[in-house]
Amino acid sequence: MLSAQKNRNNDTPLIEVKSVSFTYDAKNTGRALNRVSFFVAAGERVAILGHNGSGKSTLAKILAGLQSPTEGVCLVKGKDIEFMDFRELRRTVGIVFQDPENQIVAAMVEDDAAFAPENQGLPSGEIQARVDSVLERVNLTHKQGASVSALSGGEKQRLALAGVLAASPECIILDEATAMLDAISRHRIESVLRELHAAGMTIIQITHQIEAENFDDIERVIVLSHGSVKWEGRTRDFWDMSEELGFELPEEFKFRRYCEAHGLNFPDSFINSLPKAELAHHDYSAHPAKFELKGLSFRYSEENYALRDMNAEIFSGEWLSIIGRTGSGKSTLVQHLNALYKIQEGRIIFEGSDIPQKGEGVYTLRQKVGLVFQHPEDQLFSPTVREELAFAPKNAGFRGQELEEAVLYGLECSGLSREFLDRSPIALSGGERRLVAIASVLSARPECVVLDEPLAGLDASYQRKILAMLGRLRDEGRTIITILHDLKTALNFSDRILILRDGACVREGRPQEVIDTLMNTLEPETWPDVMRISAAIRRLNPSFPLLYNYQELITCI
Amino acid sequence: MYLANVNFGQYIPTGSFIHKLDPRAKLFSLLFIISAIFPAKNILTLGFWVVLLAVVVRVSRISWAVVLRASRPVMFLVMFTFIFNLIAASWRGNFAGGLYSAVFTASRLMVLMMFAVMLPLTTAPLELADGLDALLSPLERIGFPAHESAMMIGMALRFIPLLMQETDKIIRAQVSRGARLDQGNIFQRVKAFMPVLIPLFIIIFRRADEIAVAMEARGYEGGKGRTRRRPLVWKVTDSVILCVCAVMSLGLLML
Repeated sequence: MLSAQKNRNNDTPLIEVKSVSFTYDAKNTGRALNRVSFFVAAGERVAILGHNGSGKSTLAKILAGLQSPTEGVCLVKGKDIEFMDFRELRRTVGIVFQDPENQIVAAMVEDDAAFAPENQGLPSGEIQARVDSVLERVNLTHKQGASVSALSGGEKQRLALAGVLAASPECIILDEATAMLDAISRHRIESVLRELHAAGMTIIQITHQIEAENFDDIERVIVLSHGSVKWEGRTRDFWDMSEELGFELPEEFKFRRYCEAHGLNFPDSFINSLPKAELAHHDYSAHPAKFELKGLSFRYSEENYALRDMNAEIFSGEWLSIIGRTGSGKSTLVQHLNALYKIQEGRIIFEGSDIPQKGEGVYTLRQKVGLVFQHPEDQLFSPTVREELAFAPKNAGFRGQELEEAVLYGLECSGLSREFLDRSPIALSGGERRLVAIASVLSARPECVVLDEPLAGLDASYQRKILAMLGRLRDEGRTIITILHDLKTALNFSDRILILRDGACVREGRPQEVIDTLMNTLEPETWPDVMRISAAIRRLNPSFPLLYNYQELITCI
Repeated sequence: MYLANVNFGQYIPTGSFIHKLDPRAKLFSLLFIISAIFPAKNILTLGFWVVLLAVVVRVSRISWAVVLRASRPVMFLVMFTFIFNLIAASWRGNFAGGLYSAVFTASRLMVLMMFAVMLPLTTAPLELADGLDALLSPLERIGFPAHESAMMIGMALRFIPLLMQETDKIIRAQVSRGARLDQGNIFQRVKAFMPVLIPLFIIIFRRADEIAVAMEARGYEGGKGRTRRRPLVWKVTDSVILCVCAVMSLGLLML
């Protein structure tokens, strides 16, 4: 912070944005950016915060010199970015995007890390030295000879980061670079960023929310809203303003504030210490079952088991969340529920009888059990929203008036207005496309809806819309099954939790009952703030319960 | 129906002798071998090539299962050749001779394809692209975009597995919305496949767009002034292997 302050007074800032505007069409209507001005000093760590559609991705591209502003200038080290030498610019500013697959150009890890220095025309010895050092920096040295397709999502994003660092830039911009990652991968990237910043790198993080794990690291926040800078200031001051600006506070931070206000004294290290959980088991009294899984096993090859002797019940009308680490079999399990995977071993009983494996029965089953895949907006194909919503009910045999009603039901579920019916799904915003995609499954009026990561990559306002939609569906009596990697949401919204480990079901029960198993199954990085805090208090006072709800935490204290 | 785990001959690093050969040597050797297998007429010559293939597979330390799986997409062609030959010969009333020639032609094609598949299996896509780049670069003088073509092939090899996964996911999603992809006549099937093809094309174009931006962000501006982490180095072993392949091929052609 001090060095950044000093820089601010003496030198020209590293990046200076002067009254930048941008519009996608020539008529200058609907500006994506409107007279944005700010600066970033060398060595600073800044977050640019904005909801979907705030213009932050356009701004990211302008800062990286990949897009020219319609008006205004962007200066890098005092020089207009437009007239800067291409190679000099690329050695100064690097950018990491959201989807690692669209950044990795080579099929082998080392070849990809070498791409930027190769473009700079460096001698091969130096290229290899850079490759070795950046792979070590992002902890991928053990994967140097591996092929990219063998990496996990988090490893791929670390490789994308390494590929940008290999150009040895002075500043890196991260455009929602951790939005697609799970909590553990996010933590790994965060610790790399922390080291880079300590070594003097300027870091600009463009994001729709500040995670609890890095609110101490970011020095300054710039809030972007509808294409303009709405607020700018130090991170500490941002927390007081955050609710007013439309951003939610991390619960750990709220708790610290609460403790300060009430004179409670918990040292920071106390919250970060992570004890193991121990709680008594509870029985769960059964309701009529929608699905019964009996000894379900599935393997992709001889030794590669995805599901292993799984036994579980899913009750009619409940909202069940399936939780487990990456690779624990969640996606394979839900694709069994509407016969996308054929059963290899065991049984699945749906409404009292074995689920059909072939023939017309399969189509009936798929109408009753609607499955929404991850990123369902990628599967839209119709010229209008109306046709998209009609696809599933038409396949299920709805015709005429019935079909029209189904389309309107889908639209009603999505919460979008009637005007959307004649619009092209491709022209909608990301959040609206997600709503349409989910609605296109709901329009066939399935009794049971299965959603694989329905909230992934959405900002808070669309997440709330989808959670509200699921709540309404449950009120209509439909059974909801969700895979959620965000534990806080899963615990707070679903009726029951099913925990998977290595393809087996290790526990099922109400959220309060399964917290201990969750803590033993999942990595501490994925625990919600309240769970970590209550676990830490419990270590001092064994009678304190394990909690996941902030209000309860405050009440118990 | 589902495609996620199909290997179309993606690079498998084992660090073998064959992996370490210069891609140009491998490309030229393959050219020699293919042009010698095509006109092979007797079972002895073919036998020789089968033995050589076995040696190549053994030395490369890639399992036969992988090689066979990678050649699966061309099996259709092999089967077609077999049946066509069989029918053509039987038509002339010589079923036994027809069977022999059908088996021979089909196996010749198979051996040829398996040699061809060994190239991408033992050569990293970028290396292969570099090799092609070097071989095609003389054509740049007459305006042929050699570097761009080679880069394109390298990128295509990188993205094949990813696009297979995407296709698989889209098929599953549309099927679970009740789409019937495997029913009806050919026209109905093509029409039923549109819900898969349209999203796939949208994804491909969007990816292409984003990749182009990401490449520019990492300083890519075409082949000019680009260096290599591992520049292609022609070694004595490369010359030896190439000579051996050339001599073998020419020798067997003379027979």
